Amino acid sequence: MTSTEHLDAIFGALADPTRRAILARLVQGEASVNEIAEPFAMTLPAITKHLKVLEKASLITRSREAQYRPCRIHAEPLKEIDEYLQQYRKIWEDNFDRLDTYLQELQSKGS
Amino acid sequence: MITKHKLEITLPSDTEILMIRSFNAPKALVWEFFTDPEKVRLWLGCNGTMTVSEADFRVGGTWRNVFDAGEAGIHPTRGEFLEIVPTDRIVRTFIYDVPPINEHTITEYADFTESNGVTTVKILVKYPSREVRDGHVQSGVEFGAGMSYDRLDEVLSAV
Repeated sequence: MTSTEHLDAIFGALADPTRRAILARLVQGEASVNEIAEPFAMTLPAITKHLKVLEKASLITRSREAQYRPCRIHAEPLKEIDEYLQQYRKIWEDNFDRLDTYLQELQSKGS
Repeated sequence: MITKHKLEITLPSDTEILMIRSFNAPKALVWEFFTDPEKVRLWLGCNGTMTVSEADFRVGGTWRNVFDAGEAGIHPTRGEFLEIVPTDRIVRTFIYDVPPINEHTITEYADFTESNGVTTVKILVKYPSREVRDGHVQSGVEFGAGMSYDRLDEVLSAV
């Protein structure tokens, strides 16, 4: 996957509320598909489909060892995106801070 | 002591971004800094220097801003004013003028309110689809990148 495709996969995976809830669950610790499915009114195949999307985006890993193949969160891609979005926020904070400075200067001159 | 206000970024839906920022200044003054191209140029840098700042500030009039981000290239943006309510509201279209993204039109709604000498600016950015928004994120441009921020916050706060 190119980095753009990878970013696509991450954003696509995070766009769905069920998948975000699954990630939030896995933050608590690893879990089997059955455990993950429990709070959702969904069939196991539907949950498995969501897990595959998360796995493709490298947001989770699934153990090959144990038979119930527990899922674990893999936070690295999230951090990558978070850094990127922090930059965006920074750009706008900088813009508005500059505007703030001009507004203050202008008003102190006027008074 | 002068308090600096924080920028709030939220996601009302999959195709929208809302930015809210307050300023310790009267509305008429803040308005000038959003509408006079020479004043816009002073503060709106995004990730570069603003080399062009033009606006025919009337309904149906067009605007154009070009940013030079050095190694990150030239970023031309343009659009049209759809609605102007003096000192209260500006609705305009926004096009990031690089193919193929320039096929898509984004709409920005900026509302200005004043209370006790503090002016609050709310900017709602509406994308035609999630794909367009993501396209902007990946171009590293302007308004696109705020998208999943708060969603990520839910998850990341626990990591």
